[in-house]
Amino acid sequence: MFTIRLLEYEAKEVFAEFDLPLVNRLVITRGENVEDKLTQFNFPAIVKSQIAIGSRKKAGLIKIVQTREEGISLCKDYFTRKVGTYEVEAILIESLAEIKHEYYCSIALDTSGRQFVLIASAEGGIDIEEVAATRPEAIIKENISLTEGLKEETARSVAERLGFTGDLVDSASDLFLKLWKITTAKEAQLVEINPLVLTPSGLFAVDGKMILDDNAVFRQTTIQELQKKKLTDLEKTALQFGFSFVELDGQVGILANGAGLTMALLDVLAQHGLAGMNFLDVGGGADRDRVYEALKLIFTMKPKAVLINIYGGITRCDVVADAILHTLNEFPDAPPMVIRLTGTKETEGVKILNDAGIDAYKDMMAAVEKLKGVIG
Amino acid sequence: MHISENSRVVVQGITGNQGKFHTQLMQEYGTNIVAGVTPKKGGQEVLGVPVFNTVQEAVKERGADTSIIFVPARFTSGAVLESLNAGINMTCCITEGVPVLDMLRLVELAHSKGLHLIGPNTPGMLIPDKIKLGIMPSDMCHFGTVATIAKSGTLSYEIAKALGNADVGVSAYIGIGGDPIRGTTLVEAFDYYAKDNGTNIIVLIGEIGGDEEEKVAAYIEAQNVNKPVIAYIAGKSAPEGKRMGHAGAIISGNVGTAQGKIDALSAVGANIAETPWDIPDMVKQHL
Repeated sequence: MFTIRLLEYEAKEVFAEFDLPLVNRLVITRGENVEDKLTQFNFPAIVKSQIAIGSRKKAGLIKIVQTREEGISLCKDYFTRKVGTYEVEAILIESLAEIKHEYYCSIALDTSGRQFVLIASAEGGIDIEEVAATRPEAIIKENISLTEGLKEETARSVAERLGFTGDLVDSASDLFLKLWKITTAKEAQLVEINPLVLTPSGLFAVDGKMILDDNAVFRQTTIQELQKKKLTDLEKTALQFGFSFVELDGQVGILANGAGLTMALLDVLAQHGLAGMNFLDVGGGADRDRVYEALKLIFTMKPKAVLINIYGGITRCDVVADAILHTLNEFPDAPPMVIRLTGTKETEGVKILNDAGIDAYKDMMAAVEKLKGVIG
Repeated sequence: MHISENSRVVVQGITGNQGKFHTQLMQEYGTNIVAGVTPKKGGQEVLGVPVFNTVQEAVKERGADTSIIFVPARFTSGAVLESLNAGINMTCCITEGVPVLDMLRLVELAHSKGLHLIGPNTPGMLIPDKIKLGIMPSDMCHFGTVATIAKSGTLSYEIAKALGNADVGVSAYIGIGGDPIRGTTLVEAFDYYAKDNGTNIIVLIGEIGGDEEEKVAAYIEAQNVNKPVIAYIAGKSAPEGKRMGHAGAIISGNVGTAQGKIDALSAVGANIAETPWDIPDMVKQHL
């Protein structure tokens, strides 16, 4: 499945819904008229591309502009930018904040500790990971019990340890409590503000990020909308059929089951000088339609060859074999396929393929050797 | 882990396709399936197994003490909750996709009741020749003294099969499951087999992401584990993915790379396998 990451402007829409302090902002989405949108906004301002990559500043995708004219031409330029397969989805224009100090705060899921953690630091900004690595004492962490929630006294104590005094203790702890509300209401795995900026008129969330729980999508309707709009066409197909899918740089189309086995397969291919064109975990218990759709999706990428590696547990080799035959009937010009089938109903599956004159390997290394021959 | 050939198993979702298919495979393996549960379908019989409406009835009527869950994702939290409330000692959740908030509550509940939970999104557990509580292939391996603990399902089948082919016997095969929050963590499973008298060697199968392998390394050091550990970490060739903001790195002090895990484990004396097929020979050196 997909991890659902909200871009800054989407996270800030959620922040606004929960009354977190934000500077004046304006969103221009792709296709909107930049001149019209900017007529009411006051400059100087900061122009921030909304694109799913880190270090936007370093990539020149965030800049301060002095005038509206400058803003218009920068926005138009940003909408032409592409980084890898990512495009600039939208542009966020914000008033400049008068920065007295930058803080970091987030609520994050600690998966191995099986709890949420409130994390804060008085040394916010882009180098927070560096701070965590070199001076862990500068990072405050408080575990949050799901049954008790984030307690007000904990939030206040964190605010005080960040060095806030007077009214700022109230506003910081109020902000932490709102982060917790967002975490539970939106079923987030991460709600992050970095930096949280202290200005002469108080605290502002200047950059924000959220990661949502994809397992909760079925009961979070706003997530469903967001998720759909973010994906490439290939990813949409993958989502529709429940595949884990990532596009890679190699020449071999991959259809496998289980994330770990698929990764191990890519590692083995790399050791043999071959590279996968994709990561596709067809998921447990794949039926004929899912295998067919997965192969169809892989074919659209035009691989030199396709490697199918199935170790059936809940997935049945006979079902997979039948689906492969069905797909080959529909796609007579399919690229060469090397097939490895083992596990549940392996004998039946291999027989179905052999009867149709197709080889199937029981051993993964034999399949990889065969693939090397096919690729040449 | 908390199961044996004497476990009395109830299958939640026994009337569904997957539930029925795998009930049959488990029966063929010799697992003692005493009951099935599907709401509103009580009174039927599936593969000779009586079906009840609730887990509680299965406990009362058939003495079930272990459960395996095959119900669809959106009903899974409810099924686990029902199993825990009925006092089932070990609940094994095959279904994937349980929301994080639900799992956190279920883990808290299981701990408060002193009950055990494995999964979700797990292939289950196998004590070769004794009991299969899961969906893994039946012919992977035979009984012995090597515990195999894995994050990933199918990759661990590959390795268990390689062990079986090399005539290495397995004391237990455990898949902890692939969902973000798990009823049993890698460290908890490792702890169990580090202390298990029937286990002499532990094979650990990890993958990129999270910090559980690093925590196992810390455990090995803190507890002075002297059983040989053979580890394989998948995902060495994976491109650096999109990371979990900064917070993941701040919590765990690393970003869960394959190399980070390999370094942590080899620093505490674990033997690192280059490929899954190197594992049997490495195990044999310690038998």
